Amino acid sequence: MAEMANMDPEGMDGVRMTWNVWPRTKVEASKCVVPLAASISPIRRHSDIPSLPYAPLRCRTCVSVLNAFSRVDFAAKIWICPFCFQRNPFPPQYHMISDTNLPGELYPQYTTVEYALPPSTGQFDPRTAAAPPQTPPPVFVFVLDTCMIEEELGFAKSALKQAIGLLPENALVGFVSFGTQAHVHELGFSEMSKVFVFKGNKEVSKDQVLDQLGLSSRRAPTSGFPKGAQNGFQSAAGVNRFLLPASDCEYTLDLLLDELQTDQWPVQPGHRPQRCTGVALSVAAGLLGACLPGTGVRIVALVGGPCTEGPGTIISKDLSDPVRSHKDLDKDAAPYYKKAVKFYDSIAKQLVAQGHVLDLFASALDQVGVAEMKVAVESTGGLVVLSESFGHSVFKDSFKRVFEDGEQSLGLCFNGTLEINCSKDIKIQGVIGPCSSLEKKGASVADTVIGEGNTNAWKLCGLDKSTCLTVFFDLSSTGSNAPGTVNPQFYLQFVTSYQNPEGQTLLRVTTITRQWVDTALSTEELVQGFDQETAAVVMARLASFKMETEEGFDATRWLDRTLIRLCSKFGDYRKDDPTSFTLNPYFSLFPQFMFNLRRSQFVQVFNNSPDETAYFRMLLNRENISNATVMIQPSLTSYTFSSPPQPALLDVASIAADRILLLDAYFSVVVFHGMTIAQWRNMGYHEQPEHEAFAQLLQAPQEDSQMIVRERFPVPRLVVCDQHGSQARFLLAKLNPSATYNSANEMSAGSDVIFTDDVSLQVFFEHLQKLAVQS
Amino acid sequence: LDPSSFPRPLDGDVVPKSFSEMYPMNCHSRYLRLTTSAIPSSQSLASRWHLPLGAVVCPLAEAPEGEEVPLVDFGSSGIIRCRRCRTYVNPYVEFTDSGRKWRCNICSLLNDVPGEYFSHLDATGRRMDMDQRPELTKGSVDFIAPTEYMVRPPVPPTYFFLIDVSFSATKSGMLEVAAQTIKSCLDNLPGYPRTQIGFITYDSTLHFYNLKSSLSQPQMMVVSDLDDIFIPLPDDLLVNLSESRSVVEAFLDSLPLMFQDNVNVESAFGPALRAAYMVMNQLGGKLLILQNSLPSLGAGRLKLRGDDPRVYGTDKEYALRVAEDNFYKQMAADCTKFQIGINVYAFSDKYTDIASLGTLAKYTGGQVYYYPGFQSSIHGDKLRHELARDLTRETAWESVMRIRCGKGIRSSSYHGNFMLRSTDLLALPAVDCDKAYAVQLALEETLLSTQTVYFQVALLYTASCGERRIRVHTAIAPVVTDLGEMYRQADTGAIVSVYARLAIEKTLSSKLDDARNVIQQKIVKALREYRNLHSVQHRLGSRLIYPESLKFLPLYGLAICKSTPLHGGPADASLDERCAAGFTMMALPVKKLLKLLYPSLYRVDEWLLKASVDHDDVKDVLRRLPLAAESLDSRGLYIYDDGFRLVLWFGRMLSPDIAKNLLGADFAAELSKVTLEEQENGISKKLMRLIKKVRENDPSYHPMCLLVRQGEQPREGFLLLRN
Ligand SMILES: [Zn+2]
Ligand SMILES: [Zn+2]
Repeated sequence: MAEMANMDPEGMDGVRMTWNVWPRTKVEASKCVVPLAASISPIRRHSDIPSLPYAPLRCRTCVSVLNAFSRVDFAAKIWICPFCFQRNPFPPQYHMISDTNLPGELYPQYTTVEYALPPSTGQFDPRTAAAPPQTPPPVFVFVLDTCMIEEELGFAKSALKQAIGLLPENALVGFVSFGTQAHVHELGFSEMSKVFVFKGNKEVSKDQVLDQLGLSSRRAPTSGFPKGAQNGFQSAAGVNRFLLPASDCEYTLDLLLDELQTDQWPVQPGHRPQRCTGVALSVAAGLLGACLPGTGVRIVALVGGPCTEGPGTIISKDLSDPVRSHKDLDKDAAPYYKKAVKFYDSIAKQLVAQGHVLDLFASALDQVGVAEMKVAVESTGGLVVLSESFGHSVFKDSFKRVFEDGEQSLGLCFNGTLEINCSKDIKIQGVIGPCSSLEKKGASVADTVIGEGNTNAWKLCGLDKSTCLTVFFDLSSTGSNAPGTVNPQFYLQFVTSYQNPEGQTLLRVTTITRQWVDTALSTEELVQGFDQETAAVVMARLASFKMETEEGFDATRWLDRTLIRLCSKFGDYRKDDPTSFTLNPYFSLFPQFMFNLRRSQFVQVFNNSPDETAYFRMLLNRENISNATVMIQPSLTSYTFSSPPQPALLDVASIAADRILLLDAYFSVVVFHGMTIAQWRNMGYHEQPEHEAFAQLLQAPQEDSQMIVRERFPVPRLVVCDQHGSQARFLLAKLNPSATYNSANEMSAGSDVIFTDDVSLQVFFEHLQKLAVQS
Repeated sequence: LDPSSFPRPLDGDVVPKSFSEMYPMNCHSRYLRLTTSAIPSSQSLASRWHLPLGAVVCPLAEAPEGEEVPLVDFGSSGIIRCRRCRTYVNPYVEFTDSGRKWRCNICSLLNDVPGEYFSHLDATGRRMDMDQRPELTKGSVDFIAPTEYMVRPPVPPTYFFLIDVSFSATKSGMLEVAAQTIKSCLDNLPGYPRTQIGFITYDSTLHFYNLKSSLSQPQMMVVSDLDDIFIPLPDDLLVNLSESRSVVEAFLDSLPLMFQDNVNVESAFGPALRAAYMVMNQLGGKLLILQNSLPSLGAGRLKLRGDDPRVYGTDKEYALRVAEDNFYKQMAADCTKFQIGINVYAFSDKYTDIASLGTLAKYTGGQVYYYPGFQSSIHGDKLRHELARDLTRETAWESVMRIRCGKGIRSSSYHGNFMLRSTDLLALPAVDCDKAYAVQLALEETLLSTQTVYFQVALLYTASCGERRIRVHTAIAPVVTDLGEMYRQADTGAIVSVYARLAIEKTLSSKLDDARNVIQQKIVKALREYRNLHSVQHRLGSRLIYPESLKFLPLYGLAICKSTPLHGGPADASLDERCAAGFTMMALPVKKLLKLLYPSLYRVDEWLLKASVDHDDVKDVLRRLPLAAESLDSRGLYIYDDGFRLVLWFGRMLSPDIAKNLLGADFAAELSKVTLEEQENGISKKLMRLIKKVRENDPSYHPMCLLVRQGEQPREGFLLLRN
């Protein structure tokens, strides 16, 4: 892992592509088997990216931004757009330009630049939402479930208190609690604690919410008066009654949280509590509808169980009715599912229209409806954390991380818009990841759609340094990009405008170029441009997407066939001779990725709940390639006396009595002590001075695991276990079953067996070779 | 006709003595008064009497110290009642068979005496234990009711407040006075430590208050969805006062401040009422509504029907005086069903449709308090006293009342503020000493063959201490065959009380004119009948004659017609005032009603100037004068007291010293703008002491002081001298 990071495969551009050279035609592209796709990290931090304190120049024809690949005629003060070849005159402020006096964006090494304007000078781009004259503070509305046992609510409350303490002083805070009904707390009411109550089983429109909160102009203001300044919300005075600067309301909120009770409505025996998550979110969204669109606003929802009341209900109140499983969804036996998804989709649309983010922190032993709410979180670019309890470190530490400053900070940004410009004949099919389509049509929009499509611009209400999107490309079928044309290069430009945590609006422009190749003649260049990791992750994302959207989609079969096709196309072999099969090093890791993907939680969904699956997929879609690769194929490190820590095969054979293994499966990190190590530790050898080396051996994986935990969001579950212990299953489930009970007779002393019928990697390869060489 | 010879009730309400003299074991007349203590033996005799045959019942009338109603606990034997007619054992039952049986005085059935209740009889047939048995010697007793008299455990006394906090409610100071008063009464609410309390406030939205005892401060919960009212908490909106005392006090302290800048002029009264009902219907109790404006939002919103003078005199006139929207009667019915009694306090300076709002009080056994154009500087004291009285007076909860009569006679109609649960059962969710009810009696076809007839009033209620009790008043009256005896035994006070209620009811279905005519005609008929009875023997010619017992009847009859609910036309009283007065008078006990109809007039200037020797001399001055222009000397200072207002009349030639002493710097100002306050001098202090005394004599309402100078028109005429 560490070495990977040092290699920095994404570079300053934050772009990784399945194929780094592209065939020239649609037909040739389809022969590549793995689609033409780019995984982009639109605002990834990189120290080399220059910050330019002025507005960008745009091509007058195609509006793409002046960049390092533009040809400049210094004498004529003209630049030629690499996308459309339009000649654009430089404006007067560029007239000092010469080959020794270049603006930052024209330096050849600055393929990514960031424009930052002083806030007072206003907007960057007339086509995006106009920036308000003064930077409004970020807004956080906490939505807290109260249908919990005291203890859980206590955990949630203290997490909230801590979070509020960490917010910037000027951040505006709102608070909604819910159970049988939804309560909007009027924090600005000084006489006593005051809430507006909404019925839990009745759908409310945005207008009704504003009306009932006394925020609409149609009705006389309700009792109680705005306290404090206007904070820039001219559109609805009075919203300040509900949203107060953190510094002003911290004390009030502390007190309020101290006195906040669990939901007081009685729960019938054998029933689930009445929980109106849907109404609570509607109300929070409605309240924030009174804020200016484009303001950095997050709804931070802490949910402790399934919605059982009103819109968004995912399950009946009767406890004998279990929450839907993947089987139920498959058999269409989840009566609430579609309706709930439709409801959360409408919330998603409202939030996207308002430019606001929904973060979901779900903590419960059973499911809470992450599967249904996924759409609202993902399309607004929200964060999601799923844990068993609000007292668990997965929640506690992750939640704290959201609000922390400094090194650990997630760098939460707001109000993003991504535009993609591309060379002629390149078509965009869509994006998978935390964004939503702005439905902006253009020449580069493909007819076929994958994910958020039909557009060349996307809204990212919330985004951060690790936000990652997968863009799927196609080539024009009628293209003039035939062999022999003059342009050996094509260009892609990603233009992301966003507001950083300080409220400053920035515009990140990344322009990349890649080569066209004539694959009909030779595939050598093509092969050398293959990025196995990116390809594996893109395949995982595409497979997950198809599983969600295509009825009866058989992911395993589809992956197998894709892999076989790829191997037939790019492997070296004699027809019908499996033993002759070899794979070029540029492809050699790919089959193993596919093998692990087939066994992963993304494909083997039946081992998990729909909530877990939704959670895994959201993270798969929003994390960078390196992280996503670990999700698909965990990394295993071995610690022994004899050698420094080294990568181990993800195979049951790696287990040994005198070894410690560190498994990083992204969502969980497992420190696994071999039998002997565990015995020594239990006998306390590491506390004896003569066994210093043993103490160090024990310590090393602990430290490494802590490092992983510290850098990751959400914080992974950390499991420390011993061979043959009950927790050992967290490791075994991820290992290649090279030794199963079917082959137990071959096992060596100190090793382990896995009780599974899964095929081993070796068997998998044998099959693959056989099928790939078939004529 | 010489006006000075006209009999005037200067001694106020004089209760006929014969009733109690003849039957000393009868209940006191403060509880039950018959319109005549001579019951006619036949229908034909009754019909010749022309006056109403009936009674006025005030089951919880306040008794002076030493005359409290005794409490009787039958313990395990249960309450002794007649097996057939359910009469309660009383002084008029007869023990026979050596004390083993008793005969019911109402239906004559011979009942067994239960073993635990057995007592030997003495030689005269009296039970030996007579002296230890108040139920056998007293006309009024409270029985402790065993569990079979309960449909549920007795509820704690519950006070729920529904308070208008809109612009006018806060601006007028009502909210502040109300909050302060409620807070000051917390120690004196009946039923400690079980008393429950809760609040809802409203303007265009409803505000509930979580008063859970563990909270450091109350929590306000706003519900704005007026079309679909729901309550925001299952508990803690209605809390035990002693447990949540500090939260309740914190709430009352904050209440006026919270809304001091409220500019909301809307009133979601109907939804608020429904919400209060939803909170209260588990326990029942008393709902106090403090309303400052016309309900404008949600269910039960009302129109400005106003005083359209053109409607008066037409067939549609009466409709102005009845509830416009069925919502009000329906809510009242629902509330009564769940033991909720409603008192309405109305404060608006504009039309608020008291006719509709008052319906809530009428059918739940409550009352209406009306403070038109409330300003705390003027009406604050009145509200303080009356609200405090309402909150602290002894109250009977979840009650029902039934009046049983001897054979051949029955109750035919009831008049007052209540709802009939069945033909003869009055539902009274919360009843107190200030409430009286009128009943009319009818004779069955058969002739009454007995010498006497019995009446028994039974009020089954929950006392504030949590005991279920039955208050039983028993009385007996002779049966007569002589019409003259009926007249001689007539009780003007009771008759006037019945008539006033009938007349007010008549205004709800007829023109004012018609209502007045009915009363006049009835009195004329009765007097004509009496005259016919006597003219032959006395040859009296055309002189008006009346029995001694009825000498004030014509005057009171006139007073009824001149009372606020009935008098004049559109210009004489606002519609709201009329309706409010109507609701009030329907509930008044006899004494109070008579005083309202014929107020007291005292001259006080000479007394004020006299050097005062002791503080008891106030009774010297309380000598009533005839209500006639001749009574007023322009050199004098008079007090006119109708129980609701104290009007101070300053004669034109009154010594300026007195005026100066009483009014200070304001003595020459227009008196309508002046409020009477104690000045630093003997005269002023003396007058204030007198006023205090007058108010203490009758705490049921707090008469407000109004000042008027002789000749100040039209104010003088408006305030005074309708008689
Ligand atoms: Zn261009
Ligand atoms: Zn009987």
